[in-house]
Amino acid sequence: MLPVLAIILTAALVSVSVYSESQWSMRKYDRALREVVALPSIAIGTNYEGTRNPLIEVFVRSLYDVPGGYDYIVSSSFIDTPTWLRDFRETIPGFNFTAVKG
Amino acid sequence: MRCMIRKHKNLLNYSFDCLRRYRMRTAVILITFLVATTMISAVLFTKDGLEREAEVSVQSAPDLTLQYLKGGRVEPINTSYISLISGIPGVEKVLKRTWGYAGIGKYTFVVVGLDPDGLNYSRGVITSLEDGRFLTPEDEGTGNIVIGKLLAYMLNVKVGDDIILLSESVETNKFHVVGLFSDASSIYTADMFLMSLGDANKFFSMPEGQVTDLCVYVSPSENPATVASRMNSIPNLRVLDQDLLLRGYKAAYGARGGIFTTLWTILLVAVALIAFSQAIVVGHESQFEVGLLKTFGFSTLDIIEVRLAESLVIGFFATSLGMLLGFSYAAFLNAPGLVDILLGWAYLPREFRLPVYVSLQSVFSIYAVTVIPLLITTVVPAWLNAIIDPELAMRRAAA
Repeated sequence: MLPVLAIILTAALVSVSVYSESQWSMRKYDRALREVVALPSIAIGTNYEGTRNPLIEVFVRSLYDVPGGYDYIVSSSFIDTPTWLRDFRETIPGFNFTAVKG
Repeated sequence: MRCMIRKHKNLLNYSFDCLRRYRMRTAVILITFLVATTMISAVLFTKDGLEREAEVSVQSAPDLTLQYLKGGRVEPINTSYISLISGIPGVEKVLKRTWGYAGIGKYTFVVVGLDPDGLNYSRGVITSLEDGRFLTPEDEGTGNIVIGKLLAYMLNVKVGDDIILLSESVETNKFHVVGLFSDASSIYTADMFLMSLGDANKFFSMPEGQVTDLCVYVSPSENPATVASRMNSIPNLRVLDQDLLLRGYKAAYGARGGIFTTLWTILLVAVALIAFSQAIVVGHESQFEVGLLKTFGFSTLDIIEVRLAESLVIGFFATSLGMLLGFSYAAFLNAPGLVDILLGWAYLPREFRLPVYVSLQSVFSIYAVTVIPLLITTVVPAWLNAIIDPELAMRRAAA
């Protein structure tokens, strides 16, 4: 019984996956609306609270910091200690304000 | 040839019989894998869906977004920058945008003010409205708004109703609902108040001649990065292009967003439990069985084949069922509890469905991180038992 069920379930899962792939590839987006509104994010918040802001609040919530230091407590709980991550120092634009603009 | 086929058929039958005989071991592995794969798949399928949605939004965003930096922080930008930016070679159009957050109760919603010039800029027709109409340039300063489905539900308003919002400067602002976004665009518009730029500026009490940011559209023949580099010498300007935004959001929704850690934690727990269960089974009973089988003429390879078949059946059954449960949990139930705890979604309105994407890549990745460790943790002990002298194995087991 178990071997037969294993085959049936695996086939069902692959079918779901193929169906999902085709659904997403054929999906019609409201691209015109998104172009007009022009916000680059979706309507789901995260621990960062600022998902819809282009970048800065997403990562450091700098508007809530204290003088002299960025608040990374929330992002630490979610990701890691940002200052240890190469991405936060170099790859993610806007975090390191000493970087060359553009 | 027929003899070989019969031999393998018998070995398979024996391994399937073992699944029934060792019910406890089968049950332990099944439950372990079911829990692990259900959690992993719910998280991965949701993450894939969110990433796809975010990707589309970023691709629809302006080629360049310009912000004003002061003391390292983002502040409203003066519209006098528009003439400066428009003169840069390759810039096709610069639009003003004012947007921010508004609180109603404990929730935060997004208020977006659109430049009247931009309302004619769309390259398509906006169809994702359930009722009413979209904004036009004539709506500037009239207080007309289009709202998301979630807001309509929470405020109990429909097209034609008036609503009053309290701004952060503690002023009442009256708006008239002229349009309602449909479910189809909920992932983008659920928490959105869309209004004209003038109304948004008034709502946020923006200083005269200032907006939140500027949206720059580059000529199709130009590379946005090249155009961005021409803005380097403009003071206090931060330039974000689509690529940077995409990387930023992928980092937010992607592997770093707790999922990597979750995946590995679950994987480690699963492997530890499997190892535990195997350690029990590979004890006396299994040693005796292997010794007996070798006495009856089973080779080491035959014993490994038996264990391999057992593991494959259990692994594929449990992993496939777990992924199907994970998919159902995320797609139909919005993954209650799990997404909140593991991913940190602060706010998931019950009115919309999580975008769930069951990609073949994720499915095969989950098979790889579950079935392969199971094969290793079952085949290796079986091999170790099988290479011991059968008489010695049985004596040890009996001792």
